[in-house]
Amino acid sequence: MNEVLTLVLHAALLIHIALLAVCVWRVWRGENAIDRLIGADLIGTLTLAALVLIALITANSIYIDVALGLAALGFIGTIALARYIADQQIF
Amino acid sequence: MDTFLQIVALLAVVLGTAFSMIGVLGLIRLPDVYTRLHATGKVGVFGVVLLLVAAPMLTPLSFGKALILIVLLLIGGPTASHALASAAYRIGIPMHRAIRDDLAAQLYREDVK
Repeated sequence: MNEVLTLVLHAALLIHIALLAVCVWRVWRGENAIDRLIGADLIGTLTLAALVLIALITANSIYIDVALGLAALGFIGTIALARYIADQQIF
Repeated sequence: MDTFLQIVALLAVVLGTAFSMIGVLGLIRLPDVYTRLHATGKVGVFGVVLLLVAAPMLTPLSFGKALILIVLLLIGGPTASHALASAAYRIGIPMHRAIRDDLAAQLYREDVK
């Protein structure tokens, strides 16, 4: 059972890294600014998922702290960039 | 009991990875900014939350942190998606084969298709 779990966790981490590469391609070749911003937001979310998977693989909960900081900062960054694109100002 | 928790965590990891794959597939294949937002919202809400449900079953120390992160994702993810959709509508990105636009009638903006 333990070997199966390790194998599935490593496979999920590899899949998430491949999905990150797809999102980087999407940010590079986006149609418009909002499209690229969606890709950047999705890069943040998938990095969060990869950090949680690394925490599961190494059985070390310090990576969940890193994911917590990344979630808070990525949320604020996405909101600020969306407001800047829509209104041409942040405040 | 330990094997049962491992099986539940395994199912949660597989289901969360499947949600992430479907979300990125929607980001590539869907024709429009708004429909792409509909697909990528699922990655933040279902994919990562299911991985975080699996986290306390395998690492015994991280229950409170995983709960805080789940609450933060459930509040922050839909808010970011709404902000992106609002920004896309306000700079006038067209919808793909839209039949009607109720928000334009609400805002008295007939110039936005």
